[in-house]
Amino acid sequence: MTHAPMEKLARATPRPVARRISGLSDRAIAWIFVAPSIFLLLAVNIFPLIWTVRLSFTDYRVNRPNRDVEWVGLRNYERILTDDGIWATMQATAHFLIWTLVLQVLIGFALAFLINRKFRGSDLWTTAIVLPMMLSPAVVGNFWTFLYQPQIGLFNYAIGFLTGADPASFSMIGDVALAPWAIIIADTWMWTPFVMLICLAGLRSIPESIYEAAECDRASKWRQFWTITIPMALPFLMLAVLFRGIENFKMFDLVVQLTGGGPGNTTTLTSIDLKREAFERWRTGYSSAYAVILFVTVFGLASIYVKALNKVKER
Amino acid sequence: MAEVELLRVTRRFGAETALQDLSMTVPDGAFVVLLGPTGAGKTTTLRMVSGLDSPDSGTVRIGGRDMAGLAPAQRDVAMVFQQYSLYPHLTVRENLEFPLKSPVLRTPREMIDRKVGEVAEILQISHKLDNRATALSGGEMQRVSIGRALVRNPAVYLMDEPLSSLDAKLRADLRVELKNIQAVSGATLLYVTHDQIEAMTMATHVGVLDRGRLVQFGTPREIYEDPVSLYAAGRLGQPRINVLPADTFAGAPPGAAYIALRPEHIAQGEGRESRVTRVEHLGDQTRLHLTLGGRDLVTVTDPHTALGAGDIVRIRPRDPLYFDAAGARLG
Repeated sequence: MTHAPMEKLARATPRPVARRISGLSDRAIAWIFVAPSIFLLLAVNIFPLIWTVRLSFTDYRVNRPNRDVEWVGLRNYERILTDDGIWATMQATAHFLIWTLVLQVLIGFALAFLINRKFRGSDLWTTAIVLPMMLSPAVVGNFWTFLYQPQIGLFNYAIGFLTGADPASFSMIGDVALAPWAIIIADTWMWTPFVMLICLAGLRSIPESIYEAAECDRASKWRQFWTITIPMALPFLMLAVLFRGIENFKMFDLVVQLTGGGPGNTTTLTSIDLKREAFERWRTGYSSAYAVILFVTVFGLASIYVKALNKVKER
Repeated sequence: MAEVELLRVTRRFGAETALQDLSMTVPDGAFVVLLGPTGAGKTTTLRMVSGLDSPDSGTVRIGGRDMAGLAPAQRDVAMVFQQYSLYPHLTVRENLEFPLKSPVLRTPREMIDRKVGEVAEILQISHKLDNRATALSGGEMQRVSIGRALVRNPAVYLMDEPLSSLDAKLRADLRVELKNIQAVSGATLLYVTHDQIEAMTMATHVGVLDRGRLVQFGTPREIYEDPVSLYAAGRLGQPRINVLPADTFAGAPPGAAYIALRPEHIAQGEGRESRVTRVEHLGDQTRLHLTLGGRDLVTVTDPHTALGAGDIVRIRPRDPLYFDAAGARLG
């Protein structure tokens, strides 16, 4: 009786279809099932990638489709790699990346460590801390522009209150030296909760009994932290760094909303620069080369990193 | 090495009482085995002594010192956990070194190496020293966790079913080895087990726990030969003690509800007739399964017995134990 519904289902397949399917090997059926995904992947990922590489060797401009396209070889790459402006945006990106990662990992791990000790209302706190990452980056960018307002901004007021400086005496967004920090602070505010969540998962994965064993082995809390907590949570920490690193390498929305890349080019990250080259100056071939360089950089760094991550996980 | 005292220790978990007014003295250098079924409070007792848990009321003393408020590290105890609790990201060697590498101890490197080498030798894990702790079999993990306790020289060793997941041969080897280590070093050892052979062979004292209470404390022989209750009598002995209504045989004292006979306390040749249901040849002994008045009994007999299923044997009790209706010992 138990397989009666199954039989009914099997019989529900129209006879001609059943006959056609039964003529195929398992392998063929498997291919039929994955074919749509493979086709989509080729169409929207692999083909554009190859096409971009091809375009990067030309002087093609997408806004002048009728102009003759000239094959320029490696000239685009040469120009990009010797362009001081681009090196400046690379440096701005590296500065942004490194500091957001350092701050988010330190603060995120500390928060996770604190919230991991079960206390009354810890769930409520977790929810409250996680709120910023649920907001739209455009909203966050917009509202930090208000916070950074020299005259009415809460951020300036708080800094003024703590240091005694005049809140109107500095502008986080307008100052060449401060603007890079303005975007770091806003991004850290928004994305530290994400790092915290991953760290929390890592900390929760360490069984309590291991700490009990360490207690009996006379390890101090300090030693337990460095010899058990950190090594066992490390794979999770590294995963958080990978996610945040990739995300921030392509950072666009928050920074455009907050500083628009200014003042000058101080907060023009590569993604913003690239967008300008491709869709404001319409240098399609040139920006394709730019994109390929960025892709190789991220892909290379991520591969090395994932190797290291796997090594840590194996331990 | 030190004496361990528990005085009227009570511990509740919510509505459940894990330990009820438990008082026990583990003499210096004794090997005390705690016996009892799951939930009797054996592990809780260990945790009270180790300091991983603290009593709701009552006192724990180690070497005469009140342990109230002291962390495990301050109590100088080494514990072997039932679930191993190895450090999964470290190698076997690093696991064994961990207790010795405490910064306050400043144990010299050669000393650590020698200790770890010795213990690995005893536990037969020398060839696994550089393996990751997670790459071991269950039995190997358990040996490493025993080793982690043995590298130290603490006031008390606490062991929670340390041999439970080993195969029979290794268990027998380690039983002898643990007993040797304890006898030679004079260590005080508090040991939890379900296995009555471990209790009989290793213990200098056995504590029988029943739902958080200590019902009997004494040498294994005392518990075996002179149990205070049916419950305590049932904790030791393999095959288990036979329990029958007191009137099965003549001569029961007034008030007796049950007569209990160890398998070797059933004399054959005269008395009541019983029928053999099964014969088990174990090599060094032979077990006879009998049925008497609809009740099953087990006794031991000559290894080369000619008896077979269906045969009739006359039996009578020798040195019987009598218990009242509540299970308390009479006489």
